[in-house]
Amino acid sequence: MATRIVVPPARIGAVDGSVTRLLDAFSRVPVAAVVSRAEELPRALTSQVPVVFFLRPPAFHLGPLVWAVQARGKLAFVHIDLIAGLGKDRAGIAFLAREIGVNGIITSHSALVAAAKAERVIAMQRLLLHDDLAVPSALAALEHARPDIVEVLPGVIFPLVVDRIRARVPLPIIVGGFMTEPEQRNAALERGAVAISTGTTSLWP
Amino acid sequence: MRTPGLSGAMLPAIRDGSSLNQALDLGYRQVLVERGSLLAMLGPLVSAARQGIAIFVNLDGVEGLAGDSAALAFLATDLGFSGVLSVKPHLLRDASRFRLRTVQRIHALDSTGLETGLNSIVSPAPYAIAIAPAVAVPQVMPTIRLTTMAPVWGTGFVTSAAQAKEVLLAGADVVASSRPDVWLDFIRIPVRG
Repeated sequence: MATRIVVPPARIGAVDGSVTRLLDAFSRVPVAAVVSRAEELPRALTSQVPVVFFLRPPAFHLGPLVWAVQARGKLAFVHIDLIAGLGKDRAGIAFLAREIGVNGIITSHSALVAAAKAERVIAMQRLLLHDDLAVPSALAALEHARPDIVEVLPGVIFPLVVDRIRARVPLPIIVGGFMTEPEQRNAALERGAVAISTGTTSLWP
Repeated sequence: MRTPGLSGAMLPAIRDGSSLNQALDLGYRQVLVERGSLLAMLGPLVSAARQGIAIFVNLDGVEGLAGDSAALAFLATDLGFSGVLSVKPHLLRDASRFRLRTVQRIHALDSTGLETGLNSIVSPAPYAIAIAPAVAVPQVMPTIRLTTMAPVWGTGFVTSAAQAKEVLLAGADVVASSRPDVWLDFIRIPVRG
């Protein structure tokens, strides 16, 4: 992991926070690579995946990782809820958007979705489905926050809730969480997900 | 601990007095208070506890209680409840001092989250760990068993008795469901071999 300060490439104004580009990319290769350790990044860079999710990156050493992804013509998303050292607030979002130039931000918090949209990066809200009793309130939060795209976890729950989600919020859906087998990927895509997110490298085309 | 422990593989998850009564009418001797205001259903819960019903409370889900020692003392000493569930290890450590059975909740949403949850298990060893959603148990059981041999409960998204059976066959000891039709079918169709 690079610890020296790296001058960012000429990216200001070039970073694309457009959802259309994201969906275009997923229509070609419907997989996002979840990278939780820097060692996994090279494999993601050489794969065909168009999008990389950084799951718990070191905030202040994040720049080179994100720029390496973008230099390959891929989109970089950062999970702000799990990031170490960075405030989970507007200032944290502004840092990721302006200083690092991420394409999008992943969060489960509605307030951070609003902050991400204000910074004109793609706002991906995680729908964490651990409990059926929590579904109505989670959907209400989603409806209120109106992210650009939704990530539903875990994958095994997706078929059980996809109709309820669609009835409430007509947003593109990514399915993640324990996606380890090709059959799981295929099932999610067949049920209308635009992509899956997975850290299982064998599913990175 | 003189309060009752578990007496079967199905744990009805309730959220109000009427769902409590439905579970008791079906003959269940144990319930999980999963949601709703605990204080609003206090009367029925206390009388159930007096009749020897094992009552477990999801501290992360119910309303009306602070996450502190006073709340735990109230549940243990005044109400005679059997145990508590939480994702918060410090709360469970506190609960064990009040002789409540402690159940470590772990969200099985993705492998990173599962790992974090399993690493959060502290001493004293919990009475059980509760995996949410339950339907992820078949996928995550091998990973769990690398870390802990604690009994496993599955909670969340159990919408049929057949699904409950799958969770138990995957190695869970207990499965919770909030659906009365599942409680009923579970009795009709014996699923524990």
